[in-house]
Amino acid sequence: MTAISEIAARQEVAGLELRGITKAFGQVEVLHGIDLSVRGGEFVVFVGPSGCGKSTLLRLIAGLEEVTDGDILISGHDVTDDDPSVRGIAMVFQSYALYPHMSVAQNMGFGLKMAHRPKEEVARKVNAAADVLQLTPLLDRRPGQLSGGQRQRVAIGRAIVRDPQVFLFDEPLSNLDAELRVEMRMEIARLHRELGNTMIYVTHDQTEAMTLADKIVVLRDGRVEQTGTPAQLYDDPGNVFVAGFIGSPKMNLFPATLRDGAVHIGEDSWPLPSSLRPKENEGAKIVAGVRPEHMRLAGQEEPALPFTVTFPEFLGGTTLLHGHVAGDIPCVIEVERDVSAEMGAVLQITANPGDLRLFDIHGQRLR
Amino acid sequence: MIGLLYVAPALALVAVFFAIPLGMTIWMSLHDWPLMGQKRWVGFANYERMWGDSGFWGALSFTGTYTVAVTIGLLGLGMILALMVERPGRATAFYRTAYFLPVVIGFASASLLWAWLSNVDSGLFSPLMQNLGLTERRVNINADYGLAFWSVNVMVVWKMVGFFMVILMSGLQSIPRDYLEAARIDGAGALQRFRFITMPLVRRPFALALILCVSGSMLAFDQFYIILNGGPQNSTITAVYWIFNESFVSFRLGYGAALSVVLLGILLVLSAIQLRLLRDREDGS
Repeated sequence: MTAISEIAARQEVAGLELRGITKAFGQVEVLHGIDLSVRGGEFVVFVGPSGCGKSTLLRLIAGLEEVTDGDILISGHDVTDDDPSVRGIAMVFQSYALYPHMSVAQNMGFGLKMAHRPKEEVARKVNAAADVLQLTPLLDRRPGQLSGGQRQRVAIGRAIVRDPQVFLFDEPLSNLDAELRVEMRMEIARLHRELGNTMIYVTHDQTEAMTLADKIVVLRDGRVEQTGTPAQLYDDPGNVFVAGFIGSPKMNLFPATLRDGAVHIGEDSWPLPSSLRPKENEGAKIVAGVRPEHMRLAGQEEPALPFTVTFPEFLGGTTLLHGHVAGDIPCVIEVERDVSAEMGAVLQITANPGDLRLFDIHGQRLR
Repeated sequence: MIGLLYVAPALALVAVFFAIPLGMTIWMSLHDWPLMGQKRWVGFANYERMWGDSGFWGALSFTGTYTVAVTIGLLGLGMILALMVERPGRATAFYRTAYFLPVVIGFASASLLWAWLSNVDSGLFSPLMQNLGLTERRVNINADYGLAFWSVNVMVVWKMVGFFMVILMSGLQSIPRDYLEAARIDGAGALQRFRFITMPLVRRPFALALILCVSGSMLAFDQFYIILNGGPQNSTITAVYWIFNESFVSFRLGYGAALSVVLLGILLVLSAIQLRLLRDREDGS
């Protein structure tokens, strides 16, 4: 039996359920009734801008903060009032929070020591986790002697040793440099695949969310904006906020008017096939969204928007053209690398009507 | 040369207030040096005489007892107070100030205050105990070795605990919250978190507090001189009190200097031992 399959066999796969979670600090309510259901083994990412309450929500699940109202269930058991240590969770902190006066092995075995497990069992579990994370040669070092990536792995190892039902990650990669971040991202994805545990991961980086998640929960101002698979959120955003937050570069959002079965942006218009026309009043103000990669140079007969290039960004495989349409509405389009466009050039651009996403004036999706 | 000029004031201060007095003390300790009259070179005779001076060893042993008792009191209570006022709360600023306030009183003033409070007739403690019915008659605190000893200990703890609270509090505040939260998730209870996380991480400020406390207590003088006059029956004479008596009551300046040098040596050894015991074995950051 390999170390990882041994660990995986020990761990139970548990679901998680949040019912009407509210959290207030004094008079300030930061989470307003969060409902969420996570299947056992799912990798769920909480994503949102800073201050949206994602870390607070994670700390509530961990039991490091008390909920003001609502229930938390892990494996069907209500753990709302339980101590963090008996909830069946393990957490990887943003700062790693490795005890600086203990060796790597002591850090990883601390939880078992507190649980008065026999020494042989502690050593066996620590060695197995170290094996999985390639930490075996480092077991006698102290955190101060490790690199950022190694500390990160120790923090994950400490979590694994606890045999948790649910792993919690609080922005674990934000202290690493770009290259290491990609490496650790793949490492975490591999661990999830091999251990099969439920993982809850908090980040403000939508790329991390897209690459790791089975399910993304987009949060803003203490509310869930949308929940879905990365593809669902990308293809089918429920509102302007999610449309703008998921995807890089961001989706272009044009203020527009709906008239005569067409979307009017400034002087120009985009006819919509009848199947795509929303049930909105004639003349309604809307927002039309198109992703940069769905915009292209228009053919001869196609309806098009004149696009003034202000800044071309060469990315190697493709080129991003920054500019504006209909006066001063900012717009980014992704084109082939051989499209040459100088600053100030005016191009005719278009997109397939099927790639348009329409939102009402309050930012909600029109379907 | 310019560099020398910059450090000159510091060097001058160290020379005038430390190096020269130390040199003079050692020089004096090698003489029979009466306050008036001719001094006479005696070599190590003062040190030899010290071996047979049971008064000095008695004083030193009493000082040791006092140091152990008061250090446990000061650091124990200091740690408890530091834990209480460490986190920002509604009234913590008030409590911090309240606990720290006695520190700014001079030792002599505090001792005078205590001498009055513990006076059997005109003080507070004895009449109060009697009026409350705790004692049948007025007990003279200062006439009983045990009571007198603990009374002075209580005074010193009251006066100095705020100082050690501040040192330990700064150490506690520098421990990131994450460590304690990680330990909570690891299943460590409050006492285990204190023992396995907090205590090891306040080692450095604790070592500082311990050395300050031990060296301060080994040099105790004012409180025993002012409150107890070394009584009852000369049972509360500390090492420095003994040196004071030899030097300025019996005017044996040379012998007093020799005792001072020995006390300095003892303090150096004690500090070295403490530093070694509390040495930070943490490597790297």
